[in-house]
Amino acid sequence: MRSRALVAGCVLLGGVVAIAMVSALWTPYDPADTSGGRLEPPGPEHWLGTDRLGRDLLTQLMIGARVALSIGAGAVALGGALGLLAGIAAGFAVRWLDDMMAVVLDLLIAFPTLLLAMLVIAARRGSLLSAVTAIGLAMTAVVARPARQQVKRVLAQDYVTAARTSGTSWPGIVAGHVLPNIWPALAVNLALQLGRAVLAEAGLSYLGLGPPPPNASWGHMLREAQATVLVAPGDIVAPGLLLVLLVIGVNLLADGVREVADPLLRGRW
Amino acid sequence: MSVVMLSVAACVSSPGGGASASCALSVGSLYEPQNLDNAGGGGQGAAEALAGNVYEALFRLTEAGAVEKSLASEYTVSPDGLTYTFALRQGVRFHSGTPMTSADVRHSLRRILAGTSTSSRKNSLDMIKSVDAPDDHTVVVRLSSRSISLIYNLSQVWIVNHTLADPKTAEDGTGPYRLASWKRGATLTMERFGGYWGASPKCGQVTFRYYTEAAALNNALLSGAVDVVTSVQSPDALAPFSDTSAFRITEGTSTTKLLLAFNCRRAPFDKPLVRRAVSAAIDDAKLLRSIWGDRGMVIGSMVPPADPWYEDLSGKNAYDVEAAKRMLAEAGYPGGFPMTLDTPQYDPHPTIAEFVKSELAKVGITVTINIISADEWYSRIFQHHDFAATLQEHVNDRDIRYYGDPGFYWGYDNPEVSDLIRRSESAKTTREQTELLRRANHEIVEDAASDWLYLNPQIVVASARVTGYAANAVQAQFPVYGIDKR
Amino acid sequence: MAAYLVRRAILLALSLAVSSVALFVLLRVLPGDPANALLDMGATPAQAAAARHELGTDLPPAQQFGGWLRDLARLDLGRSLVSSLPVASEIAGRLHVTVPLTVLAFLLAVLIAVPTGFLVALRRGTWYGTLLAGVSQLGLAVPVFWVGMLLVTVFALRLRWLPAGGFPAEDWAAPAAALTSLLLPVVTIALVMSASLTRYVHSAALDVLDSDYLRTARALGAPLRAALLRHGLRNAAAPVVPILAIELASTFLGAVVVENVFALPGLGSMLVRAFAQHDYPVIQGVLTLSTAAVLTIGFVADTAQRLIDPRLRRTATGTSA
Repeated sequence: MRSRALVAGCVLLGGVVAIAMVSALWTPYDPADTSGGRLEPPGPEHWLGTDRLGRDLLTQLMIGARVALSIGAGAVALGGALGLLAGIAAGFAVRWLDDMMAVVLDLLIAFPTLLLAMLVIAARRGSLLSAVTAIGLAMTAVVARPARQQVKRVLAQDYVTAARTSGTSWPGIVAGHVLPNIWPALAVNLALQLGRAVLAEAGLSYLGLGPPPPNASWGHMLREAQATVLVAPGDIVAPGLLLVLLVIGVNLLADGVREVADPLLRGRW
Repeated sequence: MSVVMLSVAACVSSPGGGASASCALSVGSLYEPQNLDNAGGGGQGAAEALAGNVYEALFRLTEAGAVEKSLASEYTVSPDGLTYTFALRQGVRFHSGTPMTSADVRHSLRRILAGTSTSSRKNSLDMIKSVDAPDDHTVVVRLSSRSISLIYNLSQVWIVNHTLADPKTAEDGTGPYRLASWKRGATLTMERFGGYWGASPKCGQVTFRYYTEAAALNNALLSGAVDVVTSVQSPDALAPFSDTSAFRITEGTSTTKLLLAFNCRRAPFDKPLVRRAVSAAIDDAKLLRSIWGDRGMVIGSMVPPADPWYEDLSGKNAYDVEAAKRMLAEAGYPGGFPMTLDTPQYDPHPTIAEFVKSELAKVGITVTINIISADEWYSRIFQHHDFAATLQEHVNDRDIRYYGDPGFYWGYDNPEVSDLIRRSESAKTTREQTELLRRANHEIVEDAASDWLYLNPQIVVASARVTGYAANAVQAQFPVYGIDKR
Repeated sequence: MAAYLVRRAILLALSLAVSSVALFVLLRVLPGDPANALLDMGATPAQAAAARHELGTDLPPAQQFGGWLRDLARLDLGRSLVSSLPVASEIAGRLHVTVPLTVLAFLLAVLIAVPTGFLVALRRGTWYGTLLAGVSQLGLAVPVFWVGMLLVTVFALRLRWLPAGGFPAEDWAAPAAALTSLLLPVVTIALVMSASLTRYVHSAALDVLDSDYLRTARALGAPLRAALLRHGLRNAAAPVVPILAIELASTFLGAVVVENVFALPGLGSMLVRAFAQHDYPVIQGVLTLSTAAVLTIGFVADTAQRLIDPRLRRTATGTSA
């Protein structure tokens, strides 16, 4: 375990996870506490200052970590599961069906997450679940496409062909041969997708399409900060910075996992 | 080619006097017209850009809120108050060149009264029984019942050339400016109309530039892309404009009221005591400070200072947490109750919802904030009355009358108020009308029919080179014909 | 090759048709009423019904679908339900912003990513190779709107060198003003996009550097630069081209957020508004156009990839496997 990327990634991600966990137990102020002044600058009372309603920004930042991680994790779970299923299905499918799925996947990849989110929100309003659904669905194709290729590669191996002809059922093939062979690449991809999901959520919230309060996310904080940028320019820094650190952490973790799984790839990112 | 011809025409026809042909004004706004017809869904943007500038009515409202004759040169009312005879101003031409006649006025009124009309003015003109044009310059309007507000309401009825096929996509009005081009999502450009009957406007060309974000709009003013911003939506944008001689900030009054509207049909908000408790539990002044800094005002009712029946009622149901708790207990909710607050997704509603939630938590009321689109608000809340409480901006002037309609979305049903409002419309004098509406307003406030959180300020920020714009927002119009730019 | 082209063209047409029909159905199934955008406070239920009748949204969906197909057959995208203007002309106006924005940002990103990717690969282990790698890592993690906000704050609000947003009313008749107003958004998109591109270029460059033929060429005495130019670029380009296509396509409509930051009247902001107002013909028009564009770009990229790398011509499926 000598991957520097892995260590750095763990530290960064761990830091954000720790903040999120602490925020569940303790925050400097109640998130609904409006006792502060309007747009107070950072000071001993409020380390990062306050928003227009006089609420503590550090408190919001900490809760934002929780929102970012839960939406990210939820979307990865949904997108990963659906994507893997689709990938395996396409890998096993007959030629024409596989071709068709490949085209559909291309189409879906080109379909911006934002549009999907607008459709989902039009159908079922902005909520934590809507955000997870939209981002998870958008992720499905991105996960399914490489998964499909890897599944096909595994299926083309002689010993798998042998197993299939000898009558091993397809669930048996999946469990016995496909999953063990594709999981490292899948894990790396999912880790990368976690970062993308966090960024996507921030984008949605920035546009006002994110989950409603009290799920104050970093994207929402940035939206607020932009409105008051002429008075409190500093407020755009902290949420963005934490967002960047989290995504870097996740990306480094992905690189680390890949290096460990495949030493030949060392030095690549 | 056509653009070139237009501008040539404008130059040729401009009088040699003080007006500078080179003056090109750029106006920044957040409210792009949805289409060009104020009777067909053009919305606030159509009124802002076109009213008075491109289209005119028989009467016009001055900045102070008084009614003046515009395309009507004279009018008489029969003793019973049911027949109005209007003499039209002569020598008025539409932008297309044809003279304005009584046929155009009749057409303009009828299209609003028609069964298929989607105009929001239809209701207030419902008492019109017939519109006739005995000769080219006379229009006779007969009513089924007296309407003291008729003249005022006619100031909102644009006179459109009756030959214009689709007023949504093209204009043919009589105003000092004609529409030159409209690039959806970006700009609406108008040019001086050479054949205008009145005083020629100062600037030869006016461009409205539309922004979707307040921040971007303010940045545009700061960087000089626009000369004047029609209505600033955040006090935080003002900092860079306040201490320099390059900009001027004016604060006038608006008619935009931010409401926490209750569904008075449903428990627990069918009880006036509960509504009063909620009103008393929310610190309106602090909310106003949060949203608007030290601008805007708490008025405590639906009636803004621009309405003749305005009174400062901010002292009623004033902020008092202890009183709120007492009233809740008395109403049978000593421990509070859970409620859902339907909140339109656009600013500033979500922020206000968070404030309301934190205030009501102090008296035991737990608020669930439900963010909804404008479309859902209109369908579910406005049309189907399916809600408990909601936040909404009410932008219209003289809209206390909605409290006299039990079928309105908030379902406030007080026969005494309905009667007062009905009688006020058939009043013989404006004094009588004002008196009746004041009494109605007191009743409505006593019942806490809604919680009137605050009145928006009307803030205009302009480059110091620009003069002659209105400080107050009268029916969302932004007259540009008086504006000069050095 | 001809068979491949025909096959791809049929697939393209088919997926366009399927996606438009799916979208048509989806839009009408989702809750929402376009008439609401046209009504003011105080409109009665009768007026709402009148508005729906005027828009034709009270017709049965099958009938609406028929009308839409008839229009489409005449290459007519219909009229906006809200503004009553033809959808085609509204889209055309927006393309003046979106196409230059996308293309310029894309070119700038390629201009940044290709040299950086190669440089990092060549200078493995040196301090500035590591630095460049770090910067690219940062670029991958930054939300694009945050970059935009920071750039606006610094260059527009503090230094006042560039406009903070908007697009000149004169459009491209004022080319200098138009270009200046696109500068910050272009840089914003390009910075973020180049980070992920650099990654792919770097990976492709490593493959090339480690390849036998390049080692052979160098062993035979060819200087690295010449060897790279002769063999490397072509070979490195093959896997990168489809990635470029995806990036270009996602920038096309993914620019929504950036258009929002910079208040640009592009396709993205038009789409967001149309969604809010349930302006079906506009949504349908924009998405049909963008899907067509995205599919075409993918098609061109795949074909280009085959031309660059003859080995791929043997596999029949066109997807960039």
